[in-house]
Amino acid sequence: MKRITYVSAILALLVFSGCSTKAPTIDATANGSASNSSANQASGTAQSSTGADSAVIAPLTNANAADTNSNANGSVNAAKGVTSILFDYDKFDIRADMQENVKTNSALVKNKTFKLEGNCDEFGSDEYNFALGLKRANAVKSALVNEGISADSISMTSLGEGNPVCLEKTQECWAKNRRVDLKLP
Amino acid sequence: MRYWILFILSIITLWGADTTLEVTKTVGVLPKFVIEDGSTFSGAETQKFHKMLSADMKVISLFDVDDSYATQSFESLQPSLTHKEAGYILRYRLLDDGAGGFKAEVKLLQNSLELFNKTYLLKQREMLVFLSHSIAYDINIKMGGAPLEWMKRKVLLVRLSSARHSEIVAADYTLAYQKVILSGGMYGFAKWANREQTDFYYTSLSDFKPTIYKGNLASGKKHAITSSDGMAVCSDVSEDGSKLLLTLAPGGQPDIYLYDLVINEKKRITDYSGIDVNGQFMGSDTIAFVSNRFGNPNIFSKKINSTAITQLVYEGKNNSSFTTYRNLLVYKTRDGNGFNLRLASLNSSGSRQLTSSGDNDYPRFSYDGEAILHIKQEGSRSLVGIIRVGINKSFTFPLHVGRIQSLDW
Repeated sequence: MKRITYVSAILALLVFSGCSTKAPTIDATANGSASNSSANQASGTAQSSTGADSAVIAPLTNANAADTNSNANGSVNAAKGVTSILFDYDKFDIRADMQENVKTNSALVKNKTFKLEGNCDEFGSDEYNFALGLKRANAVKSALVNEGISADSISMTSLGEGNPVCLEKTQECWAKNRRVDLKLP
Repeated sequence: MRYWILFILSIITLWGADTTLEVTKTVGVLPKFVIEDGSTFSGAETQKFHKMLSADMKVISLFDVDDSYATQSFESLQPSLTHKEAGYILRYRLLDDGAGGFKAEVKLLQNSLELFNKTYLLKQREMLVFLSHSIAYDINIKMGGAPLEWMKRKVLLVRLSSARHSEIVAADYTLAYQKVILSGGMYGFAKWANREQTDFYYTSLSDFKPTIYKGNLASGKKHAITSSDGMAVCSDVSEDGSKLLLTLAPGGQPDIYLYDLVINEKKRITDYSGIDVNGQFMGSDTIAFVSNRFGNPNIFSKKINSTAITQLVYEGKNNSSFTTYRNLLVYKTRDGNGFNLRLASLNSSGSRQLTSSGDNDYPRFSYDGEAILHIKQEGSRSLVGIIRVGINKSFTFPLHVGRIQSLDW
């Protein structure tokens, strides 16, 4: 009987004491949509913004149709002939299957000035994601310079997650957004 | 047998202990709290104000807030018929001041006794939610709650509206107030330039080269600070506002620079061939930053005038954004559930998970370290998250249009 009491006490302690939980206890949502607001405060380029209480609109209202139709999937842009270079997740080295696209591009942009735009998928809006886009652009620049293109003819920028060509939540879509676009004037 | 019990008790106690980071406060049953409209006119605005106050009172977390709307004479010491069970009554009376603003009279009642009363004047009625924040702030002080200075501050955010288009928006922490202060281009990384929130820095990606500008909220005037091929971001502002930590990338190489606004000179302070970004001041002579020097993005620190690097985080993957306050560090990390935020102490090992759902990014401590602002993505929805570390509670407020790229407060 005594033994049963001890065992019961131990089990009760284990059940009720537990260990310190690392998970947050609450992830509550206060009703912030108290809140439709339209605003006008003193400032130069003022606009107002309103939001419907329950309406949730897609994060970005549209993808970049021009880039979608042209070169974002690694296929040839009919208008300019240049091709986007695609990258793996969190990588900025040029994949083996993109080497041919770089060569094709180098022939098309020779003796022209152009811009390389690095783009990223939606995983992170922080500076690191922007830097990743830039390192991708820089990798393409180095590859083009190796193909004989003058470094002085190339400018670069990173647009981070801000210029998606695809908005679906799929691996294929995210892969299309991890790219460098060549922009001819 | 009793030794076994003692042994097991010791194991349980030691296992459960988290001497550095246990921040949970045990709270008993909270008193019921109601909000009543005592305005002489009752319309959309007074009812909207009721919702705003309800949201603020929930964030205060001192009460069990019943957010049902009811009216009652402002002078009465009794609750309305529908609020008979209330422990506390917050009653307000909004009055049109005839000049585009409001006069608000507020009182807090308990057991027919008046605990608090105050009159507020609001010049711009579109900023009604800030009046609600001020009232909540005062009630919190009256009731002895944890500091809530952050509640009254403006949040500066960049909202991506469509591909290649974004806007800089000044908002309150609930996003009830939103005012577009810059639009028509592509912008990123907006950051307050001073504690008074009169000026701000931002990156324009519409220029030939990414350019950092400083803008003034009241006048709308701006001037360029610096630009760089590839990338230019103002990551942090020193406490006195005289120095900036920038990420610049001349030649395509992102590194951290210290920019002295007094002499308008910049100095490179990291030179790794991979990615060094997101410098944050830690006192006057040290910075923390994100680098991929060990393969994945992680958090490091260094003295400004030294080349020695110290790794600050030893767990998690893709630790690509962070914020610090004194000896506390909150960082983003990738786990099985997506991207979550963790809190660590710089003086000890171990960490504590702060979020458990969605993809969480861009943490920013408030000036007093009491709360952490961050971006939360839930599917296609973008939200502002507030974590009150001291009481272990978090709240989210959805953005109805667009996606949040960055925020600051």
